[in-house]
Amino acid sequence: MKAVSFENVRFSYEKENAETIPDFDTDERVFALSGVDFCVEEREFVAVLGHNGSGKSTLARLIDGLLTPDSGKITVFGKEVNEEDLFEVRKQVGIVFQNPDNQTVASIVEDDVAFGPENIGVPPEEIGERIKFALSAVGMSEFRHSTTTRLSGGQKQRIALAGVLALKPKIMILDESTAMLDPSGRKEVMDAVIRLNKEEKITVILITHFPEEALLADRAIVMSRGKIVLEGKPFEVLTKEEELGKYGLALPASLQICRALRKGGLDVPDCLEPEILAKEMAKAIQKGSAVAIPQLPVSRGRVLDETLDGSITAENLSYTYNPSSPFETHALDGVELTIATGEFFGILGHTGSGKSTFVQHLNALIKLPTAEKKYRPKRKKKGAATKVTRLEVAGYDLTQKTTDFRALRKDVGMVFQYPEYQLFAETVFEDVAFGLKNFAGEKLSSGQIELAVKEALETVGLSYEEVKDRSPFELSGGQRRRVAIAGVIVTKPRVLVLDEPAAGLDPRGKAEIMRLLHSIHEDWCKTVIVVSHDMDEIAENCTRAAVFSGGKVFAVGAPKAIFFEKIRETGLDLPFTAKVERALERYGVYLDSDLTRADFVQKALKEAAKYA
Amino acid sequence: MRDVSFGQYYPANSFVHKMDPRTKFLFLIVYIAAIFTADNFYALGACAVVFLLSALFSKVPLGSVLRSVKAVLFLLLFTALLNLFFYSGNADAETPLFSWKFITIWPSAVRFAIFLCVRLFLLVLGSSVLTLTTTPVALTDGVESLLTPLKWIKFPVHVLALIMSIALRFIPIFTEETSRIMNAQKARGADFESGGLVKRVKAVIPVLIPLLISAFRRAEELGDAMDARCYSGSNVRTKYKKLRFGWRDLLAAAVAAALLAGVIVLRVML
Repeated sequence: MKAVSFENVRFSYEKENAETIPDFDTDERVFALSGVDFCVEEREFVAVLGHNGSGKSTLARLIDGLLTPDSGKITVFGKEVNEEDLFEVRKQVGIVFQNPDNQTVASIVEDDVAFGPENIGVPPEEIGERIKFALSAVGMSEFRHSTTTRLSGGQKQRIALAGVLALKPKIMILDESTAMLDPSGRKEVMDAVIRLNKEEKITVILITHFPEEALLADRAIVMSRGKIVLEGKPFEVLTKEEELGKYGLALPASLQICRALRKGGLDVPDCLEPEILAKEMAKAIQKGSAVAIPQLPVSRGRVLDETLDGSITAENLSYTYNPSSPFETHALDGVELTIATGEFFGILGHTGSGKSTFVQHLNALIKLPTAEKKYRPKRKKKGAATKVTRLEVAGYDLTQKTTDFRALRKDVGMVFQYPEYQLFAETVFEDVAFGLKNFAGEKLSSGQIELAVKEALETVGLSYEEVKDRSPFELSGGQRRRVAIAGVIVTKPRVLVLDEPAAGLDPRGKAEIMRLLHSIHEDWCKTVIVVSHDMDEIAENCTRAAVFSGGKVFAVGAPKAIFFEKIRETGLDLPFTAKVERALERYGVYLDSDLTRADFVQKALKEAAKYA
Repeated sequence: MRDVSFGQYYPANSFVHKMDPRTKFLFLIVYIAAIFTADNFYALGACAVVFLLSALFSKVPLGSVLRSVKAVLFLLLFTALLNLFFYSGNADAETPLFSWKFITIWPSAVRFAIFLCVRLFLLVLGSSVLTLTTTPVALTDGVESLLTPLKWIKFPVHVLALIMSIALRFIPIFTEETSRIMNAQKARGADFESGGLVKRVKAVIPVLIPLLISAFRRAEELGDAMDARCYSGSNVRTKYKKLRFGWRDLLAAAVAAALLAGVIVLRVML
């Protein structure tokens, strides 16, 4: 029996939203569904891919009756989804959304899981049973009596999963449920989902941006502009380079490597798994074949005449939240880190590793106690020779209260996670100019302000004339993110710090943001610091990176120096290229690349040339 | 911003935690009544003792309970100060402590200001014991159950209770969000600490608007998530946790009755 079937379904949102500038990374509101036929078999695991705004989420909401189609027919287990049977449909279909905080109703885990069964009138004794079942199915039994706010992102999402499971649904929809999680949280959720599909025989519809997640499915569907444009086995779908490009998606990084190797003359098939790729590469390299070694594009990092200081020095930096209370947490515990002017620096770490706390020190959002106005130096105790704390950023000494913190904040720009949520002004122009006016006071003429705003907007790839008078809230998600970044770079900070700048964007949007950062870095920004969960992003873009763990710097250095096996102890993973290199070593092939894809390919081809 | 503990549940397995939320609620009402009936420091002392007992039996560290005052500290001191300046004493029976132009501070004003402060402190502390030891769900269940009679006049008791519980749940989330947005705007040079009243009020706009927008967005998403989990507010709804009165509730009722009686006696006698 078909679990879900769509027959020529059309759907559109209200007209007012249709005014948004058409763009590939616009959000769901712009493109509705235009004639979708689609079905899912019982117990199947289907992955739905597509650029932001392709209609994926609309699809999920239609199945559950949260939206009603304009025309066409939707059935769930043979029953048409309509107003009368909404309850019956929703009992069978569970959805887990993106933001874990916005789908929890209660403060205690078991109360939240009980919410669904209570709604459909399950007797209290049975609700207890269902809670037990649902929590054990997602591996959260021990948290039954915990408070939801104190859980990690991955745990919160597993509670959301349990809350849906307690309704005993036959279909589970995950609407980008892992997008806001770190790698270990993502793995927790995906493991639970796979188990539900295999053991509890639940039909799964997984909406995602991550190719490695789609690969776990039985079937993959690609949507673009409200239509289903590709369909097939996940592996087949993910290897169609041309089509993916056409629909605003990109070939997974692993496949880009395979293709580059083949182009160079090394005979390897398309592989998504690092182990398999390593095996195939070892075979091909040792066979020895005529290869063409490509020239590497310009090397990373720049050697520039650095007259302005963009360096950071932290010595013995510690910070404690809620000191001497039951919630005392040592967020930073003697951090030692030096970042030189001109670096494109990565900061990695698990949620709670201290990386955000560290970053907030850099422009004195968290001030050192000695820099507080009310600080009075204490008399030193004899014999208590504690190590001195130092913190210097872009030439400012942050341990002194005499430091000009306004000037510091102008020179050290900070882009927070999901910066688009900080937009507030009536027009894009006003929002971007906000920081500029704050820092410069009355010193700037309106012409100068206009010029700076124009430049900032054009740097982030938006047309000044088109967007300046619009409300930031009528732009798409991707455009809003860029406006928010423009609002920080408008003062041309010497040091730019970004917390997960690409989070939640589709692969194309991610690539655009990274390209943007590189061009800023090359043009005028001395030091760029990126906080990220994405190992591949760090390996591909950064000159050096630091790994935070337990409030300390666990490792620091070039990507190839920090991505070694021990990094797994911190709950992080290796980037794809490092995984392949480690696996290749077992076959006696040592590449020792800098872990960027281009260098990896070049080293592999050089290695093959040796055998030829 | 991180240490606002008002409205946050502190998980523990204590006498107070195990009490029926309805009892705790009624207890709080009696306690508040006692505080307002008290007109001398002895009676207020009795209230303080009851508060300390309840805090002790709740196993919540006293520090956490006391921290809830922080949020309203400014308001408390402001009220006390106002009273200090504008409370006019009895010119026949006492001499002013201090007099300058139109400001005169009387000994009785000092006494009254302190009294008021203690009274308000006890009020906030008592309420925070309730929220620290009762999960929002239990609290709403309690309120819903206590308000059941209103259903007779078609008052949507259940909806009201749910709104309350969700509001409580989102307090820590919005606290965190506020500090995040404030930090982001500070990084763009916003100044919340200096300037006159007009400037400060203006400075709040870049925080308030994103916060409001976020609240709407969250509300919309939460609504969808609740719909998807079959919420309809209809009568089929069951309750996983049934409320039951136990021996602890009887004991608490006795304490509450004793407190109120004691305070009334003290008021009449002194």
